[in-house]
Amino acid sequence: MAAVHRRTTRAAWGFLTPFLVLFAATFLLPIGYAIYESLHKNSLSGPLGLGGSHTVFAGLSNYSRALGDAAFLASVRRVLLYAVVQVPVMILLAVALALLLDTVSARAVRFFRATYFMPYGVPGVIASILWGFLYTPGTSPVLALAGHAGLHPDLLGGGSVLWSIANIVTWEFAGYNMLVVTAQLQAIPGDLYEAARTDGASAWQIARRVKLPLLRPAIVLTTVFTIIGTLQLFAEPLILKPVSTGISNDYTPNLSAYNSAFANNDYYLASAKAVLLAVAAFVLSFGFLRLVGRRGGASR
Amino acid sequence: MHNTCGWLRFGRRMIWLACLTALVLSVAACSGSGDGNSATKPGQKIDMTFWSWVPGIDQAVALWNKENPNIHVTLQKIPSGSSGGYAKMHAALKAGNAPDLAQVEYQEIPGFLMGSNLIDLSQYGAGKYQSRFTPWQWKEGVFGGKVYAIPQASGPMGFFYRADLFAKAGISRPPATWAEYEQDAIKIHQSNPTEYIGTFPPGNSAWFTALAWQAGANWFGTSGDTWTVHIDTPVTEKVATYWDRLRTEHVIKTEPDFADGWYKDLQTGAIAGWVSAQWGDAIITGNAPGTSGMWKVAPLPQWTAGGTDSANWGGSSTAVLKGAKHPQQALQFATWLNSDPQSIALLIKGGYGWPAATSGYVGSSLDQPSPFFSGQKYNDVFADSDQHINESWTWIPTTDQAYQHLNDGFSAAVNGKGSFLESVKAAQGQVVDDLKSAGFKVSTAQ
Repeated sequence: MAAVHRRTTRAAWGFLTPFLVLFAATFLLPIGYAIYESLHKNSLSGPLGLGGSHTVFAGLSNYSRALGDAAFLASVRRVLLYAVVQVPVMILLAVALALLLDTVSARAVRFFRATYFMPYGVPGVIASILWGFLYTPGTSPVLALAGHAGLHPDLLGGGSVLWSIANIVTWEFAGYNMLVVTAQLQAIPGDLYEAARTDGASAWQIARRVKLPLLRPAIVLTTVFTIIGTLQLFAEPLILKPVSTGISNDYTPNLSAYNSAFANNDYYLASAKAVLLAVAAFVLSFGFLRLVGRRGGASR
Repeated sequence: MHNTCGWLRFGRRMIWLACLTALVLSVAACSGSGDGNSATKPGQKIDMTFWSWVPGIDQAVALWNKENPNIHVTLQKIPSGSSGGYAKMHAALKAGNAPDLAQVEYQEIPGFLMGSNLIDLSQYGAGKYQSRFTPWQWKEGVFGGKVYAIPQASGPMGFFYRADLFAKAGISRPPATWAEYEQDAIKIHQSNPTEYIGTFPPGNSAWFTALAWQAGANWFGTSGDTWTVHIDTPVTEKVATYWDRLRTEHVIKTEPDFADGWYKDLQTGAIAGWVSAQWGDAIITGNAPGTSGMWKVAPLPQWTAGGTDSANWGGSSTAVLKGAKHPQQALQFATWLNSDPQSIALLIKGGYGWPAATSGYVGSSLDQPSPFFSGQKYNDVFADSDQHINESWTWIPTTDQAYQHLNDGFSAAVNGKGSFLESVKAAQGQVVDDLKSAGFKVSTAQ
């Protein structure tokens, strides 16, 4: 008996090892390295500071530099403002699309589902380039049409580009989120609808009283993913930057960390910013989960 | 973002950290074999690696390899510096597996010196090649009397303009002064409200920097052991105020350059001119082929009537990176690449810019009239421009950050927050802070 148990344990470790090795090498190790880097800095020596450099322990000074950087803090405020708008829009749209598709005929469903999902198959970088063309006066057929109507909206200016980015992100991911919600919808047993209809519920009442409460786990899941994704906004502003006057080098926290590392060659500060961002995403996601967890408990 | 993509993004950051980790781990493996200036025995074959992004440089390297079978150079094409090339170099330097030679732009050289990442070539006799190159370009690679880079090409500035559109607006000759440039800007925009004399690119402050350079500014320097920063001087403020005025008069565009909308404007004539560097010719001919025969080139407008002040925008060198096993041969190759007439001819064909070698222009393919530029022998303008560049301009180790501060300030101004002048004033303090937080001594004393 003990031998069998030992063999089972060994087999379990055997199966787990590939995962654990990869997990450690690609996840734990880099995170540890980022934290290590964030606690160090370069020290210069020699005439003009060009004699040589070596790495010294810096304590929390990179963190205080990041938190004392007005542009970095502004980038955090910007993504929070963006999240306050983007998260509800995204979730409402995804749920509405899923519920609508749930009520139309079977053949149309497949067509629309595929159509809504299709943008997700376009890589974010490509999507941003495509939308960049649509936003640029002179290359955009949409703006050309608007011009004929006497409208000249500036979609890439400082006041509007954040919402132009939101539009790209919504276009990209609403269909995907819809699919998550749809999967949950299809897991709802049909006899619940039947019972509701027998009780005289209208289609609207079924959606509101039966479907929505049962969709709760899917909505929570997509919300958490959307919050994390929103904080990590990166590719869209990076790609639109060359065509927009409204996107600064510290437009989002991720862009700010990227610039510190790859334009300013300050990996230490970049690591501190990355760690701060990871902590913020962690706090917000789990904060949201606790919030909905508590409310869910109270209503039960 | 959302869903897996959120994690993908997270994952992407992890990937570079993972790569970095892997690179750092490999330091131990590489550093053992990497150092030592092994003297090569006669007949012994050596191989060097060279990172560059310059179009056409592969042909020059191939020619070298044909002529020097014992000193083989392996060219590896990398993304251009600001598109990730420098990040790649710095990561490789940090990991100890950098190439022997690399393409380094002038404004980046001090940044590379920061961790002693470039080999002092004067100890291998670089000094004797000085006479082959334009004096100011040679100086771009000299710090503390030591030579750290061999100059390759630069961008002496001039004014590209659509002679046909200027004539249509009733302007018979290109602006000789900035005051005339302003008047012409007004005339062009008044004669056709969809046309402008050009754009002020808010996200490309290297352009503004060059214009401050022309006006006589000397933003950066060294004094003994200390870096000096003088950005908010009357000269620079004059330039900023000038462009602020054109911006608020709405007689110039403020769209980004090198962007889709701007290329379109070059094609349609919505912009009738471009204050640019010599290498701008390839940008115009490549992106607006339909405007052939309509362009001309004039010297930069002047702040003082009758002046000849010029400036440089963009410039590049070949440097030998820390850890190179054969610095002597690397210097030999770098000098040949940038001063041998056959090599220069190949590089000009690829469009590498304005030759840093003094012998580069006369008799080359640049030294000919061009049908695209109305039959003008337009490079004469740049040859002259190259002779009138303020030679005392230098860069700092944090040039990129300085550009970013100005980019952000200018972009905000274009969006109605602040002005170009305020951005310049703010940049002074920001640049001093950058240098200080990087660990340098800084002075702002005059």
